Amino acid sequence: MIEATFPLLGTAFVVLIVLPTFALLAKAGLVMLERDEVGGPLHGLNLRYVLLTGSSVLPIAWLVSAGLHQAETGKSALACLFDHDTAELCFEPGFFALMLAVAILTSSVGVMRKHRGARVSSTDAAHTLLRRVARIIASDPVLASLRDRVVVTDDDGFALGTHGLLKPRVFVGTAFAARLSDEMLASALGHEAEHVRALDPLRYLILQLALAVNPFGRFLLDPHAARWQAAREAHCDREAVILGAAPLPLADAIVRAARPGAREVVALGARDTAVLKFRIGMLLAFSERAPARCCHQGPSAFPVAFVLLLIALLLPHQTGTAALDVLHTGAEHALTYLWR
Amino acid sequence: MTFRLRSGKKGLEIRLHDLEATIMDVVWGKHLSSFAVGDVLAILEKQRDIAYTTVMTTVTRLYEKGILGRERDGKRYLYSPKLTREEFMESTAREVLDEAVGGHQAMVMLAEKVSEASAGELDDLEALIQKRREELDA
Repeated sequence: MIEATFPLLGTAFVVLIVLPTFALLAKAGLVMLERDEVGGPLHGLNLRYVLLTGSSVLPIAWLVSAGLHQAETGKSALACLFDHDTAELCFEPGFFALMLAVAILTSSVGVMRKHRGARVSSTDAAHTLLRRVARIIASDPVLASLRDRVVVTDDDGFALGTHGLLKPRVFVGTAFAARLSDEMLASALGHEAEHVRALDPLRYLILQLALAVNPFGRFLLDPHAARWQAAREAHCDREAVILGAAPLPLADAIVRAARPGAREVVALGARDTAVLKFRIGMLLAFSERAPARCCHQGPSAFPVAFVLLLIALLLPHQTGTAALDVLHTGAEHALTYLWR
Repeated sequence: MTFRLRSGKKGLEIRLHDLEATIMDVVWGKHLSSFAVGDVLAILEKQRDIAYTTVMTTVTRLYEKGILGRERDGKRYLYSPKLTREEFMESTAREVLDEAVGGHQAMVMLAEKVSEASAGELDDLEALIQKRREELDA
């Protein structure tokens, strides 16, 4: 039997069957959550996020952990001993884990490339804008969290966005800022402050990676991911208004961010017509009545995701790796059947 | 109670038609806890020419919308407001918000095919914001 059978066929099975199946299950959960009209589209954001990302991350984490666990202990007993009739350590599960990791890293390269921030500028225009931003932040206690967290860029076409995974910073484009009044800029910074507080660049990156490693399942989840991202942007609008941002200037800033010439995917999330109309409608409503924290977000996303990931990683050690053995023997029997 | 919100209107008229809003203004303004159609007509007649049947039809519509309650008093009905003005405005504001952020309709809106906004659509949105700003300033 070729030693590469399980690593190759097993990885293909995971990508073609296992991950799409989990995507289907996640989709069922997302459809049920999105049908729940209480709280509307901003309802259960964290739970929806865990479903979107967990459907890829958790099975992969379990499989990699199980593969490493078997390789480490040499106890991929059933699969290796049965098929190879040898008592030697069997490293195939380790190769499988390696193959899976390589497949994941390969599909992640494109996403990582897109996630680079803009270039920080130090021109006169940039210094002038930085002073203006510092004045706005100093005059608004709500924006205090952005102190030393705002940088300026002269990059063409860059409007406003938050970049940086563990210590995010807000990038402000000089051309875009020149078209905003102080009130609009303050409101827009209020929106970005929520992205900074919630480590949204990290959330968005993990979401995109989770979708990228599931190429055959992502078509099931893409619409839900787009809705989640739109709802997340609307959530940041609402949080900004709750904390004191003026809704109409924020609405103005969002529309201006959507104008050609200053269009950038993360620029206040102002890319899609339907989402724009939804958010502007919401902000117009907020101008009549201040919003409250209306929607249950579900348990906090990062701690829940971390605990689930830990469980997935530790589970093979605690409960065995029978599922991996089934995958292992299945892959080799499949090859035997094809070779006949 | 569910109402269709009327765009470009303020206060009571966001949810009520002009005459409905006028009648509720009278009911709440004069603290009418129980009244017949004729009582409202007597007050309105001092402000404008208006027919009894018009007032009766409008009061009936307010009852059907759940804003007024009624009980029979011989051959006529006696009406009473089911909400104070403040409660009504509070529920109106909540409904404006629900219209914007809640419910299946909003989710459907987010489910529309992704399309980038045209300059015309952005102009319309800016005009909408400007209009709301003027309404709030007025």
